[in-house]
Amino acid sequence: MGRYILKRLLQGIPLLFFVSLILFLLMMNMGDPVATMGGRRVTRSSDYERLRRQLGLDKPIYIQYLYWLIGNDWAKTDLDGDGIAETPGTRHGILRGDFGTSLLARKPVLEVIGERLPNTLMLMVASEFVIILGSLLVGIYSALRQYSFMDNLLTAILFIAYSMPIFFIALISMYVFSVLFKRWGLPYLPTVGMFDPQAGRTTAQVLWHMVLPVLSISLISFAAYSRYIRSTMLEVMSQDYIRTAKSKGLPGREVVFIHALKNASLPIVTVIGLDLPLLLGGAVVTERIFAWPGMGRLFLDHVDRADLPVVMGILMLIAVAVVVFQIITDVVYAWLDPRIRYEK
Amino acid sequence: MQTTPLPGQVAILLADELETPPLSLGQLAWRRFRRHKMAMFGALILILLVVYSFGGAFILPESYANFAATPLRLTPPSTEHPFGTDTIGRDVLARTIYGGQISLIIGLLAVLIENIIGITIGALAGYYGGIIDSILMRMTEAMLNIPEIFLLIVMAKFFGGKIPEIFLFGREFSGSVVVIVVIIGLTSWMYLARIVRAEFLSLKENDFVLAARATGTSNAEIIFRHILPNSIAPIIVSATLGVANAILAEAYISFLGLGVQPPTATWGNMLDGANNYLESAPWLWFFPGLLILLTVLSINFLGDGLRDAIDPRSRTV
Amino acid sequence: MRMRKSLMFFLVVVALILSACGGAPTPASPGEQGAAGPAVTEQPAAAPSQPERKVATLIYTREFDNLAPLYTSMWFVWTTWQMNNHWAWEFDENNEPFPRLVTEIPSAENGGISEDGRVITMKLRDDIKWSDDTPLTADDFIFTWEMAVSPSNTVATTYPYDAIESVTALDPQTVVVTFTDPFAPWLATLWHGILPAHVLRPIYEAEGTIDNADWLRNPTVGCGPYSFAEWESGSYARFVRNENYWGTPAKIDEIFIRFVPDDASQVAALKAGDADLGTFISYADVPGLKDAGLSIMVEPNGYSEWMFFMVNEEKGHPALLDVRVRKAIAMAIDREGINRDLLLGLTKVPASFWDALPYYNDPPLENYPYDPEAAKALLDEAGWVDANGDGVREKDGVDLEIDHATTIREIRQDAQAVMQQQLATVGIKLNVSPVDDTLYFASYAENGPAARGEFDIQEWSDGPLFPDPDLYYWLCDQIPTDENPVGENWFYICDEELDSLIKLQSTQVDAAERQKTISQINQLFYDQVYIIGLWQDPDVYAVGSRLKNVKFSGVTMFFNIGEWDLEE
Repeated sequence: MGRYILKRLLQGIPLLFFVSLILFLLMMNMGDPVATMGGRRVTRSSDYERLRRQLGLDKPIYIQYLYWLIGNDWAKTDLDGDGIAETPGTRHGILRGDFGTSLLARKPVLEVIGERLPNTLMLMVASEFVIILGSLLVGIYSALRQYSFMDNLLTAILFIAYSMPIFFIALISMYVFSVLFKRWGLPYLPTVGMFDPQAGRTTAQVLWHMVLPVLSISLISFAAYSRYIRSTMLEVMSQDYIRTAKSKGLPGREVVFIHALKNASLPIVTVIGLDLPLLLGGAVVTERIFAWPGMGRLFLDHVDRADLPVVMGILMLIAVAVVVFQIITDVVYAWLDPRIRYEK
Repeated sequence: MQTTPLPGQVAILLADELETPPLSLGQLAWRRFRRHKMAMFGALILILLVVYSFGGAFILPESYANFAATPLRLTPPSTEHPFGTDTIGRDVLARTIYGGQISLIIGLLAVLIENIIGITIGALAGYYGGIIDSILMRMTEAMLNIPEIFLLIVMAKFFGGKIPEIFLFGREFSGSVVVIVVIIGLTSWMYLARIVRAEFLSLKENDFVLAARATGTSNAEIIFRHILPNSIAPIIVSATLGVANAILAEAYISFLGLGVQPPTATWGNMLDGANNYLESAPWLWFFPGLLILLTVLSINFLGDGLRDAIDPRSRTV
Repeated sequence: MRMRKSLMFFLVVVALILSACGGAPTPASPGEQGAAGPAVTEQPAAAPSQPERKVATLIYTREFDNLAPLYTSMWFVWTTWQMNNHWAWEFDENNEPFPRLVTEIPSAENGGISEDGRVITMKLRDDIKWSDDTPLTADDFIFTWEMAVSPSNTVATTYPYDAIESVTALDPQTVVVTFTDPFAPWLATLWHGILPAHVLRPIYEAEGTIDNADWLRNPTVGCGPYSFAEWESGSYARFVRNENYWGTPAKIDEIFIRFVPDDASQVAALKAGDADLGTFISYADVPGLKDAGLSIMVEPNGYSEWMFFMVNEEKGHPALLDVRVRKAIAMAIDREGINRDLLLGLTKVPASFWDALPYYNDPPLENYPYDPEAAKALLDEAGWVDANGDGVREKDGVDLEIDHATTIREIRQDAQAVMQQQLATVGIKLNVSPVDDTLYFASYAENGPAARGEFDIQEWSDGPLFPDPDLYYWLCDQIPTDENPVGENWFYICDEELDSLIKLQSTQVDAAERQKTISQINQLFYDQVYIIGLWQDPDVYAVGSRLKNVKFSGVTMFFNIGEWDLEE
């Protein structure tokens, strides 16, 4: 098993290189970060040249990639614009753990990302929790009561939820539960942000503000997962060993939860495991609507302003997380399912 | 059926009754499909929507859809504007018709691109194996490692504004339609590639393939004429669901402002334009939203039914 | 098996709780040390039980990139410099200057401006101090200039400090600024926020740059009515009353700025009463907000939406070389109608580049009227006729097909569609392209389409260097070329007369002379139709009913924030 993990990790490295190369090339044509540094005006020409030089944007693409990869403290940069490079650079490159500095915030990229990461994790973990719990309940119920009225009704509702764009759900729910409910005098939910400034940042406030975003994010995945669990459960329930268990006289609940569910849960584990790292991207659209300060919004804001280091940092982190989680998922899967063993 | 057979005819009748022509795979699938009521319903709605978008063009000309009568802006639904008017006085009904054409075309074309890329890569990887497989799969994984929406955003900015307008079927499309089609296609082929590869891996060891090789059939012919038709089932299911995904992806991208640009209408960018009018002009989002919902819903039903009918092995969510 | 699944659930729950706790109280902010006065910001879980603290909530649709003067040109950061910093002189709601850190505005009469216009002498107040009790003196001004022009600082702009020869102090309260050449726009462009020398100079001397100074993002030491308290990236920023302020203490306890990027969300929050002030409100939202009880305040800021013509033999469309065609276009678009219908009549069509500075638009220009028939006549006269009946005029085999581009914003797209339609009725085909703004405004070197002259008509919101009438786009030497890729004359217009007038006015320190020069430019723009005004683009604010005494300036936006008050 250890060798397997090692092998997978090693395979991941060229993969990450490949990803970084593709992304960097895409980034190159995303717009000009200096173009919008003039505030409401176009950046003045005298500032333009200077800023490009100071931010290292005047170098050709492959040099910029090289600096991003291994830093520029072994090279000299030209700080004062006289055409002679005299000052050694200060970057160490991503291979040595330096993700660079944001062109906009002038802060280290890791710091910028680190400020937002907990917020996204909060939202995503809560959503995942709601999704798993909810879809298990609904999926099992539907499987047990297949083709009943409730099953069909739930299926219909879930299908509809699955077919709507998420920003739509988010905006409508914000309008209904925050603006309209408040206007009609009903207990209402907050609109935007993580907490109410008058009350301060308490756990209760944050949880209260999390309700709408989590609901919006969960709804779609929840619909998909519960269908999936339903069909897996149905398939498992029709197996012989279930019939044996039932005919042995085991109570229904035990049959369902112990025997059926644990077998049905295997593929679900895979799906969850692969989903988790993508959570890091955050629900880009939901965060924007609810003004939740997470990674998704960070990505949007910085892509918008063509801030290369931050965008690359986020994407590389996600890529690394995906690789790691894939390995973890495979290992956990093997651990859970005694039938699977990885050779060599 | 005869009631009293004549003595001499017994054997012949029995023989006739005993042998019925075997049903082809397609006919079997169709029978299974028919039983899935939701899928039939979905197919029906889809046909109606296509008629609405493409047939509606014969009733309301495109110039009417683009005609801005600014004093009439934001009028609620009425007899002359059944769906109301938008922010510059264009008729919403007409715009949903023409918008529908674009949204549906985007869905179909994106899936076409997705399929071409995905099938090619999956087939090559699965059939040849070895180094080719490794490289192609690494590439696929690399793309999969990046969340789709990030890729969409980055690519939309990359290609944005570079493609001029095109003329097709008497309509003028903004170049951003091509961009959207390409980027949705480029970001969703990975799943299909993996499925196709899995199919090829298992099918290529079959006897019929060995036989074909023994008789000297070229590799290309084996791939396209022998193996591919046998793995068509998951491809069809994936393609169907892919259209729904493409339509939703178009709506997302439009919400972020990077989709098809006005004045060309799509359901997605009509929804985006309604953002500031959720309360004051609900007809702006209601109708395109409803149409997207119906389209995606019916495609999902259809896909569900197809999956049950032709590919009972599939496990995709 | 069951154990293992339960284990997974358990882990998930634990992770959730941990992250929720990790996120909750104790703002991890460095903003609490020393100077900020009252330790107001320990987050008591039961906050509202104290005598009600007055907290005003403002919504910003964009987050600051940093908070330092010189390092950013973002509108949203400039507003904070009336909170925790000051300009040497600021501008009121009529955009008239008034002294803030100086005792009086330098002028020729009080000897503040020398005869040749090159030397400005400023007398500082003697009671101004930083929030840590250090007096604010001429040294801080000198330091600000030094930092602006130092090549090791990655400042956003060195303008106008790069036109200054020296800044010296005659005494701690007198600053002497000497320009290399007479510099007319000094009043509008100098001293937009001051850097505290006593905090930053040691850093500069140690590191050779202040780029990495913490003060840039956490300006704990300030000189305004409020002090910076904290800034949580992506989420909010807080400013609390500066108890150590040298002027009249502020009335509100805390200003809470929330970053909400989405327009619809901002409007929802304002309607629900979750915020007291909204920024950059679009006209479409105005009626709804008014119904919800907010008041809408509009402040001219010199910006208007302009269509800029590219008039150049090589790059542009041959039709646009003819002033009659440009006039025809001006008359074929119903700009009044656009303002009335799309902008709800809340703004006007600008006739002059300087219509927010009436002194320079005297006598005021009038717009070309909406007259499609006259437009058609002009086009016929210019030789552009529709011989082949396809609805588009042509001449010498060239179709009158014009490329127009602007950035992605709903109102622009709507206006483009209307213009396209109206121009089609007079036989002009307008090709519209919306382009994302970082791509649109990319430079010539970056193959920015506007800079490369790919658009016959460009459109964006701009104005003179308000409140100064200065302008520079149309200079001949600003045309971008391979040798000069950062040129700003994206219209590729080289009009000798215009060029000399523009160069002249920027040196005329005498207001009366300058006014004459600019009037000539004003008339030239009108006669030559180099620009067409679409709508004025003032700052639009939505002010909640709780906020009192709120006034805005088009230059120093929140100039009287020290007087704002909250009442239920």
